[in-house]
Amino acid sequence: MTFSEFLVSHGGVFFAGLGIAVAVFLSGIGSAKGVGLVGEAASGLMIEEPEKFGKSLVLQLLPGTQGLYGFVIGLMLLGKLDASLSLAEGLYLFAASLPIGFVGWISAIAQGKTAAAGIAILAKNEEQSTKGIIYAVMVETYALLSFVISLILINAVSF
Amino acid sequence: MAIVKMSNFSLFAFDSERDKLLHQLQKFGYVHFTSLDDNEELIEEGLEAVAIPKSIGEVDEEISKVKYAIDLLTKYYKKETGIKAMIKGMDNFNFDQLEDKASNIDYLPVYHELRELSAELDHINSQMKDLGSQKDELRHWKGLEYPIDELKGFQKTKIFMGTSPKKMKEKFDKDLLNLNLTHVENISEDKDNIYLFAMTASEEAEELNEILRNCGFSNIVLSGEKTPKEEIEFIDERLKELDHSSQEVKSSIDKLSENLPDFQLVYEYLMNKKLRLMVSEDFLTTEKVNVINGYIPSDLREEFEKAVKESLKDAYYLNIEDAKDDDPAVPVLLKNSRFAETFESLTTMYALPRYNEIDPTPLLAPFYLAFFGMMVGDAGYGILMLIGTLLVLKVANLPSTQEKFIRFFYYLSYSVIVWGVVFGSYFGGAIPIRGLMDPATQYQELLIISIVFGLIHLFFGLGISAYLSIREKRYLDALFDVGFWYMAVAGGIVFLLTALMPLGPMINTISKYVMIAGMVGIVLTGGRESEGVATKTVSGLFSLYGISSYVGDFVSYSRLMALGLAGGFISASINMMVGMLFNIGFIGIILGVVVFLGGQLFNLFLSLLGAYVHTSRLTYVEFFSKFYEGGGEFFKIFRNKAKYINLK
Repeated sequence: MTFSEFLVSHGGVFFAGLGIAVAVFLSGIGSAKGVGLVGEAASGLMIEEPEKFGKSLVLQLLPGTQGLYGFVIGLMLLGKLDASLSLAEGLYLFAASLPIGFVGWISAIAQGKTAAAGIAILAKNEEQSTKGIIYAVMVETYALLSFVISLILINAVSF
Repeated sequence: MAIVKMSNFSLFAFDSERDKLLHQLQKFGYVHFTSLDDNEELIEEGLEAVAIPKSIGEVDEEISKVKYAIDLLTKYYKKETGIKAMIKGMDNFNFDQLEDKASNIDYLPVYHELRELSAELDHINSQMKDLGSQKDELRHWKGLEYPIDELKGFQKTKIFMGTSPKKMKEKFDKDLLNLNLTHVENISEDKDNIYLFAMTASEEAEELNEILRNCGFSNIVLSGEKTPKEEIEFIDERLKELDHSSQEVKSSIDKLSENLPDFQLVYEYLMNKKLRLMVSEDFLTTEKVNVINGYIPSDLREEFEKAVKESLKDAYYLNIEDAKDDDPAVPVLLKNSRFAETFESLTTMYALPRYNEIDPTPLLAPFYLAFFGMMVGDAGYGILMLIGTLLVLKVANLPSTQEKFIRFFYYLSYSVIVWGVVFGSYFGGAIPIRGLMDPATQYQELLIISIVFGLIHLFFGLGISAYLSIREKRYLDALFDVGFWYMAVAGGIVFLLTALMPLGPMINTISKYVMIAGMVGIVLTGGRESEGVATKTVSGLFSLYGISSYVGDFVSYSRLMALGLAGGFISASINMMVGMLFNIGFIGIILGVVVFLGGQLFNLFLSLLGAYVHTSRLTYVEFFSKFYEGGGEFFKIFRNKAKYINLK
């Protein structure tokens, strides 16, 4: 069996599996970085004002959703996984994982930075801190859009 | 609904009656004073700003005393925490009750007692600290079994005590070999230093000193009389005594801590008194007469007049007239139905409306309710919310802002339940009941529903904009800014639909021309405020370009579907994990229950947070941009915002 023969007969399931991995790990990396960024910023605040913990936790959670979107896409791809997938089908599922993988990765980091700046609002003017949350959510729009597209791509075909 | 009508008042009153007047007005509460400091007309007449009364200093001093006591006592006061505290809440007072009660509290004796006790405590603490450091020093000399004060009395012998770095030890030992009349002892060691005791005959003292200096010796003088060991025992005893008396002082402070609620009352009382004194800087005065300007809600006019009359008898001049609509200085107070008032926080978070705008709260509320429910979309979560919020509302005594916030979620929970039933989702499918549609498979229908909701939302926003133009009798603006857009967007959508669905050539043609007519209208009128034909055309075209933002707006509504779907899938995957655990056996079932409760609660929190912020975004960015500007000034009630009590 040559490599190309191997690829044709087993590539489908491999690429579909790769798709699951990409959707989960790229968005997961992004969310981990984003959540970490906000956590660092919030820790500084806790020294002086521990009573703001609840609100800072909300800000910290915001960049965490990308990882969850990626996880959901991963699970849906898992449902499609089958040893009999053709190479084309596998590549298609792989492609479906890319929107949430990449956008989730970068947007989570960008959202983390925005939310970390929101911690500054929380520190200096607590009453306005919800505005910091709204700013961070602006970034999330794009993760949501890519999630929708990944979702549609997966469900648009039935194999 | 909407923005409370305001009346502008000007009041002339005798300076001597000011305290009485302000006191009465503060009881009334709903007065917003405006500063007359930059009213040039009156200043040219020779009126001067009212100086803040000197008594403000006394009040400030009282406040700082009370604050001191509050800060100290809060550390000792045994307050109920958690659920119990929430149920009990803060005590309710109205203004009269507060004044009555607070003015009868003589807090000074307790304050002085607290001052004394705390000074005593400070004294004890500093003594303990001193003794502690003495003890630290002596600790190293425990091995020296000789009374300290007797070491000083030698005539022919000289004593050196102190530390030397460990790394110099070799050199030191070598140098010492040259001396014959010297005795050196290592009393103890720590990480870096050796504690040395050296005894030498006077004639060798100089040499020893030299050696010691070369070895980084630093001298230590011990205080005390007896042997270090005895001294330490003595210190320990003293420390025990001090600790005991410190406990005693603390327990007497603790006993006084029951006065904390009194201090808090006095604090609120004093802060209001301070506000009464501070506000007079907004007034102008002649030699004897104060000129006061401000706003009151129009429907409280009679009560206001009564309050003024009660305090000033007949010696005043009062003029009240309705506030002008387009005056930007008119403060804004919102008043809404019991349902809509819970959404006011959303409006104020964006911006308070200007006095001549409309209050968007009742307009945004129904959409907010629908969208929020759609984004969470799980009947199980909705029922949890309903039970939780109802429970809190029934048992807890909350300040009004918190009460409104809980009631906000109480209303939203109904929408969440309805959408959950529609989607047939109960804890992400843990309870299998079929709904009207299944989001996981029928997401395309759901996407279309979302966009249609978006369409309704946006067109409603545009409609409000048209209503505002018509209200101001700018009928053409309503047509130009809204009518043409309706035509262009609606025509465009129908025209696109005819390409996808067979709707007949009639509709195709009609929609095409409606769209084109709308677009032409936009290009022709979009630049009507600019000058010159060229700029008019360019800005007309530019406003037509705004149609691309409508595409963005519609796409943005896909989050209605996406959030619900994401929440549903996360909750379903939690259930999947729980299912796997249940198959393991007994331990698996226990673990499964834990994972189910923890996971679902986490997802509930995440869903609520996501729905809250994303619905806010749809409201602020997509909806408000069509008609709402905001930027009004808050109506400042003539009361200090209470910190420790609920002041009615």
